[in-house]
Amino acid sequence: MDYIVKRTAFAIVTVFVAITLNFVLFRLLPGNAVSGLRCQHCTKQFRESIVKQYGLDKPKLQQYVIYVERLAHGDLGTSIADNRPVWDDIRTPLVNTLPMIVVGTVISIIIGIISGVVAAWRRGTAADSANLWTALAFYAMPTQWIALLVIFYIAIPLGLPASGIESNTLGILSTPSTWAVFSDRVSHLFLPALTLGVGLYGEYSLVVRSSMLETLGEDYVLTARAKGMRNWTIVWKHALRNAMLPLVTLIALSLGSIVAGAIVVEDVFSYPGIGLATIDAISKRDYPVLQGIFLILTMSVIVANYIADLVYFKLDPRVTE
Amino acid sequence: MLSVEGLEVWFDVPGGELHAVQGVAFDLFPGERMGLVGESGCGKTTTILALMGLLPPSASVAGRVLLDGEDVLAKGEDSVSPHRWRDVAMVFQGAMNAFNPVKTVGSQIVEPMELHGVASGRAARNQAAELLEMVGISGSRADRYPHEFSGGMRQRAAIAMALACSPKVLLADEPTTALDVMVQAQILELLVRLTDDLGLAMILVTHDLPVVAQVCGRAAVMYAGKVAESGPIETLFHDPRHPYTRMLFQATPDLHGDDEVASIPGAPPRLDREVLGCPFHPRCDSAFSRCPVEEPRLREVGDNHTAACHLNDVPMQVAQ
Ligand SMILES: Nc1ncnc2c1ncn2[C@@H]1O[C@H](COP(=O)(O)OP(=O)(O)O)[C@@H](O)[C@H]1O
Ligand SMILES: [Mg+2]
Repeated sequence: MDYIVKRTAFAIVTVFVAITLNFVLFRLLPGNAVSGLRCQHCTKQFRESIVKQYGLDKPKLQQYVIYVERLAHGDLGTSIADNRPVWDDIRTPLVNTLPMIVVGTVISIIIGIISGVVAAWRRGTAADSANLWTALAFYAMPTQWIALLVIFYIAIPLGLPASGIESNTLGILSTPSTWAVFSDRVSHLFLPALTLGVGLYGEYSLVVRSSMLETLGEDYVLTARAKGMRNWTIVWKHALRNAMLPLVTLIALSLGSIVAGAIVVEDVFSYPGIGLATIDAISKRDYPVLQGIFLILTMSVIVANYIADLVYFKLDPRVTE
Repeated sequence: MLSVEGLEVWFDVPGGELHAVQGVAFDLFPGERMGLVGESGCGKTTTILALMGLLPPSASVAGRVLLDGEDVLAKGEDSVSPHRWRDVAMVFQGAMNAFNPVKTVGSQIVEPMELHGVASGRAARNQAAELLEMVGISGSRADRYPHEFSGGMRQRAAIAMALACSPKVLLADEPTTALDVMVQAQILELLVRLTDDLGLAMILVTHDLPVVAQVCGRAAVMYAGKVAESGPIETLFHDPRHPYTRMLFQATPDLHGDDEVASIPGAPPRLDREVLGCPFHPRCDSAFSRCPVEEPRLREVGDNHTAACHLNDVPMQVAQ
């Protein structure tokens, strides 16, 4: 209980620190909303009016107060590029990205756990070293390369779509069924998610392997064998949960790189998610949108970390403070 | 009831093999308490683990382990696993960690009951609580996690867990080594009481011969993977026929501390190479010309009393 209170308080404090950093960071960036404007009618007066419109002429502290107040009302500001509320601009990409990241992470966890457990169980064998090298290779490989391998060895032979989020032809002749739309989405999501998952699993596999080896050497595993339990039952009932603890921590720590990986993956697969939206906003110097994306991403990392803390608490009864 | 014949264990180690157990044989009778004594590294734990086929894959085992006449190791895992815990239960060295930290103590006591079909569900849980009461722990603590128990309590709970399937034999490997002296005495007392009450046979493994003298009627002294001497504990104490046994009794731990006052100088030989002659001769105070060249065979020297020492072949030197 104590632990949950502490973790919750910590998460809330982190949220405020993140909001503040998010504000400061964007004021520190070179240039501002108007320095990127290049046009005929961009006269001095016009620039000043824009600066006023965005409140950039006010003292920084006041800007900060206004920023926090607006956030509290769910107002992320207005896009410079298209004058729409930022939230409207990033909602769709966010909804596209979320399932991709979740599926990718789940894929990486599943491959990581299975390969790690098998490698630990068959330690010293060819299977173990094969897994070690594969895991290291994928861990070290830039995400773009993995994407190319996935396209070459999976997308092409299986005829899976390697770009976009839906088929252009879908719904041209008739209104497609819900199932058709769904399976179309899934087929578009699969490759980016797989790429993300393969890029992440290597690290997980190695961590699961080593924590599994440590766990298998514990006295309670010997006790379980002495009780007459069969090997895989022991792995399943006794070793796995303990071996999982370092993985939970690692996943929480790697949430940042999951997001980073997602941005690269979306770029390669032209997947219209938050990554593409980020790249787009950068090229347009759309500060409010960028700021909104950053805020959303930091918030999701904080929330996911908080969930990881709770999972850890659930898995390990020794955690109390 | 439990009969071990010609047990040999080799471990694959980098650069060769390590002959950890070399032809150990003994019998354990119903309700009997037997000690297995020797300095650390002489193969006691390996012997105990080999009995129920619990050695790691790097070990190869030869010899027979008969449980009521049935060779339990004959068909590997399939023939031995039904006997594990059901007939032969264990309390391990460092049994403090015998419990999985993420599961309740009660659920881990229930586990072997359900596995061997002794009891299940509510009945099993009640039985687990009763077992805890039997070792002096409140049954309501069954829902607690191991880290909520003190060292001594965890050891008691480990004993309760060993009793879960009402086994015939209890193998206790250094069950008190990590505990402080007071708790040690309580645990030994508990083991004596339980084995008496339940008619349970026990092998108590320890490096501490005086502890064996308190608890067991009979003991086998191991040195360098072999039985050096075995017999009734009184005989071993009053009439040891192997200098190692005599010197072990002399190396009685200090009652007020845990360091040994007169430990035997030197160390046991390495087992990863062939040992010539009697393995104890470099440390023996009575070694003579035969000892470095010829290995003494274990042979009868009295009633129920065997020893492996050349001194026993030289009548005038036997009397101490
Ligand atoms: N898993 C193993 N691999 C290799 N050697 C081992 C292993 N377990 C024990 N040994 C060796 O076997 C010998 C006997 O060890 P052990 O049975 O633990 O002795 P004890 O219990 O009497 O202290 C020692 O030399 C030890 O190094
Ligand atoms: Mg030992």
